[in-house]
This record gives sequence, structure tokens and C-alpha cells, in this order.
Amino acid sequence: MDCMSLLGFCVCAPDAEFRGSLPFPAFDINRDTIPPLLRRRSSQAMQMAFSAAAAACGHAGRSPATLPSIFASVAGEINTTDQLCSELVKADGVISPAAFHNSVQNTAAGYWSIAQQCTQPASAIAAGTDTFAMALLEAWCQLSCQGGELLLVCYDEIWPAYLAPDCGSPAFACAMVLAAGAVEGGLVQIARPKTGAAIFPPAWTKSADSMPILAAIPLLEAASVRAGAQAIALTPHTPSWQVDLGGWK
Amino acid sequence: MSISPLISPVAVTAYQCVSAGGDDLEALYASLIANRTRLKPLTLFDIPFDTLVGEVTSPLPEIRSSLKAYDCRNARLTLKALAQGNFRADVERAIASYGAARVGLILGTSTSGIYDSENAYTHLLQNGVMPGDFYFTKVQTAQATAEFLRLELGLKGPCYAISTACSSSAKALAAAQRLLATDCCDAVLVAGVDSLCRLTLRGFNSLQLTSSEACRPMDAQRQGINIGEGAALLLLEMPSEENAGRPRLLAVGESSDAHHMSAPHPDGVGAATAMAQALRLAGRDVSEVDYINLHATASSLNDLSEARAVVSLFPNPPPCSGVKGLLGHTLGAAGAVETIVSLLALERGFLPGTCGLQQPDPECLFPVVAAPNLEISPRLILSNAFGFGGNNASVLLEAA
Repeated sequence: MDCMSLLGFCVCAPDAEFRGSLPFPAFDINRDTIPPLLRRRSSQAMQMAFSAAAAACGHAGRSPATLPSIFASVAGEINTTDQLCSELVKADGVISPAAFHNSVQNTAAGYWSIAQQCTQPASAIAAGTDTFAMALLEAWCQLSCQGGELLLVCYDEIWPAYLAPDCGSPAFACAMVLAAGAVEGGLVQIARPKTGAAIFPPAWTKSADSMPILAAIPLLEAASVRAGAQAIALTPHTPSWQVDLGGWK
Repeated sequence: MSISPLISPVAVTAYQCVSAGGDDLEALYASLIANRTRLKPLTLFDIPFDTLVGEVTSPLPEIRSSLKAYDCRNARLTLKALAQGNFRADVERAIASYGAARVGLILGTSTSGIYDSENAYTHLLQNGVMPGDFYFTKVQTAQATAEFLRLELGLKGPCYAISTACSSSAKALAAAQRLLATDCCDAVLVAGVDSLCRLTLRGFNSLQLTSSEACRPMDAQRQGINIGEGAALLLLEMPSEENAGRPRLLAVGESSDAHHMSAPHPDGVGAATAMAQALRLAGRDVSEVDYINLHATASSLNDLSEARAVVSLFPNPPPCSGVKGLLGHTLGAAGAVETIVSLLALERGFLPGTCGLQQPDPECLFPVVAAPNLEISPRLILSNAFGFGGNNASVLLEAA
């Protein structure tokens, strides 16, 4: 496989001010994308992931029911986990069975497969500051081995402040539909992620240092304007992971 | 009849495991042959109900001072496994032959270092702040122990965690095979690690799934599950003349139930799809499978779902067994731990037993191996791992 093609994408950023600062269109949570039974008890992480994923599938003109999915997040269901940990240390703490099974990293991936009646494989990955880069690499490997198309969703909700001071904000999700090879109508073609010395845009370094999932911003910006051939850094530190974009007309 | 595979097989050139079954492969093999439960009352912390666990009670090594920020039970279990046998030397040999940038690392874990986070929350409750030596992204987030292991070994290739509950480390094997197949790496270290913690013990208890006695997978009188812990390490490389004598990972089949967050599909549709997908990717037929290492948690819903999956896929099911009555359910580590159980079965020539099995459930319409069988040397094995979210993986392994 020489490249993968981005067929469609969408960004969800609940904070209006932050949303306005992004160099591409972004949207608030769309509650219509959450099944009614899940709306009340789903996390911000899941609501953002669903909102971005549904719109990206729509943008790409693909049915979510047939796409394998990769859900990538640094901290996953951190607020549900935090609430459980707070209960666990109390003598009379109560552990809710639903909160427990909704604390796993693949909560969004699992509910997405149920909501879309999608029996394709769903994965949930995490890689700290390299989460976005490793998510793209996992997508590359799946498409390269199996062909076809897949849904990649990268997201993080706001983390409880005491867990990692000055980190874990603002909330952000992006979803991309990717296809193996060069596909007509694709927005951009993305080469295999590799290590290199591409420079991360300084304007976003501080943001991505404190909220690692924001490392997706430069690639999304390039895709939104179908920028010319170039190397895009996938992490705010160098030397590190990057992809070459290009090949489209 | 075999057809050509859709993904290249990879060689498993080294593996090690620390679990309730013992500190290394020899101890695990002895436990499997003895088939006497290693489940005992929990000593690590107090819980407000009765259960047995698969706890690692031998001392765990210290984390070196330069990596102290990563110190947690998960990292210590991993470091302990790394020190067993020749495993560390095998990884260092791979680094020397391929270069550190060509050696990747995929960790499968469900709760990472959360046992230590729970202790930190006690400090938070009393003092309003987390302890000064608590590092959220180096202890609690899913990739934390992968980063520790990468720094401990000086690896420079791709490094990430897969966290899909109890299928995590089976899916880590799938991702590792793809990194090799796509020439992103020449060797990949797969780690499946999970530690006992209050969250999973009390969480599974809240779901009314824990058993107060040693669990009895596939038994008509099963009472629920026991949680275990473990660290399983496997080194994967492309097949070569040098590793021709090593067993092969042929493929990992993956699927989603799309049914329920914490209950499997009652007919095992997703489980059957994962097993069928592993065989399809490897170009193998159901008739070639010699033994299935069942996920078999000893929860009624899981056991019956898996039993129906086996019967639906296999016209003549091979012998099957499950080892969670011996080791407990090691959750995110289970896929890798039980892949290692299956590799021992391939390399040493036996079928593991099902510790605790007295009277097979009449709905299990296939031969369940109760006592270890030393007369049969399997050559092709499926090992199942299914998790919350209806997340299924089935690992297909072949003898050298």
C-alpha cells in the first residue's frame, strides 16, 4: 500500500471559544447521534466521539454499520473512572455496575458498535503523547493488511484537574474515514507514519503538550484546505512521528 | 484443506509469564500439569466480600530510580516477567540485530496501574490533593507500563497500548502481527499485563459475577468468576531459518458482538465470527484445529455463549478446556497469558485441563478436557479472549 486516503472527517469541540480558535470548522456535541437510552449516562468522551464519528461517516458518504473502527484516547473514560476511584476509598463507597462497565477504555467503541449494529472489529488504543500518531499507524497497518475502509476516532474529555495539573483540557474529538490506497474523491492522501524531524506548528505546541489529542490539529488543518504535498508532524516533540501528505490532483 | 493465508505468519521467538501459576514458564507448566487451583484469598488489600483470586504473592522487583515515576504494580509485574529465563537477553538480541527503532512494543491492559491510583485516591480523600509522587500519565493511563518497558529496554519503535477490556492482549498480538506484516517493524514485543485492584474486584462483584469459591469453567454447578493478575511477554519476529524451530502465530480473528456492553451475544455469534476470521486469515479449515483454549470465565452467560459459538462453527468440535479455575481471569492480560498456555501445549505436547470441572454443563456439546491430557500433542490451537463491549479476539497458533 502506497498511501491511505482520507474520505471525510469531522471535529467536535464542545467549548465554543476553543472551537472558534480552530483553523477548520468544528461543531458542538450533537445529541441526536447518541441513542436516546444512552444520552443521560454517556460521558462527554463518548458524546464527542459519537458526534464526530457520525458526521465523518456522513461527510464520507459511508455507512457506519460496515466500517471497522479504531477509537484512540489518552485517558478514555477518565471521569467515570475517577468517580469509581473516589467511591472505592470510602468505607461505604457504592460501586455501580453500569459505571464499572462504562469505565473501560473501549466504552465508546463498544457502544458505537452496538448503536450502529456494526459487527466489524473495534479497537481502543492509547499512547500518551503519541496517541494520535499511533492511531494513524494502527489505521495504516489495518488498511495495509486488510484493504477496504475504516473509521478512526481520536478523542479526550476534560480530565479531573487534580490528576494532572495544567493538563487534560480542552475536550476534543476528531473522526476520519480512511481508505486503503489512492481513492478518487479522497480529500488527501496520507503516507505511512514514520519518524522524522517535521516541526509541529509552534502556535499549537503548548495546547498539544497539555492535551495530547490536539496533536491531530495540523493534519486536520491540512486536510481541510487540501494543502499541497508536505510533511505533517503528528506529535509536538521532535524528532518524532510524522506523515507525508500529497499525491492528489 | 489449506489455502494461502491472507496475512503472513510470524514466529514467537521467546515468551515468559508471571501469574498465580508461578513466576516463570517452568512453574506455569508444572501448575498446568498438576491442575490444582492456584486461587487463594486476597492478601494485597481488603475487600468487603468473600472471593478467591489468582494473586502473584512472590516479591516484585524495584523499578530503577531513573524510571521511578512509572512505579506501579503493573510495571513491577512486567519487570518481573522480563527477568525470567532468557527473555530479556532475547529482546536485547533482537535490538542488536534489527536496531532499536525496528523493535515495536504493544501492551494489552485493561486497568494499567490503577491499583496504585486507588492508593493515591486515599491520599486525595484525606488531603485534598494527589500525592506528590503520583504521575497520572506514567501510572494510570493505558500506555503507562508500555512506556516504562520501552524505556527500560531502550526500544525506539512504535509503542502503544490496546485496551479493550478482556480481549486487550489478544488484540495486541493482532496489532503486533500487522506491524511485522507491513514492514513497520522487524520484531515486536507484546505484553499482556493486569494487576489485581479494587476497581475490578468490586466492579465484577457489583455485576454479581464473582465466585466465593474457586471457579469452575463449563461446569453445570459454576458459581461465577475469580479475578487474577499476571504479566505475559511474547517476542514476535518474521519467520526465518534461525527461528524455524519456534511456534507460529498464524492470525488473530477479531469481531464485535454489537449486542450489549457487559453481556455476550447469547448465541455466541461474535465469538464464532472471531474464530472463523482467524481461520480465514490463516487459510485454514475448522477440521485442522486440534484444541481450543476457551475464554471460559465460569460466568453462565459467557460459558454458554462460547459453547454455542464452538458448536455453531465446528461440525466436530476438537477437545476444549479453560484454565481460569487454575489461574483466575487475568482480564486484559488473559489473551497473552492464555496464548502462552497454548504455546506450552504446542511445544511440550499436552492438552491443558479445566481445573474445577466436575460435571460438564449439559449445554456444552463438545469434549471438555477435565484433567490434563499428556497423550495428545496438538499442532494447531485457537485461544479465545472476549471482553466488555462485545469485543472478541481469537488467536490461532501452530507448532513449528
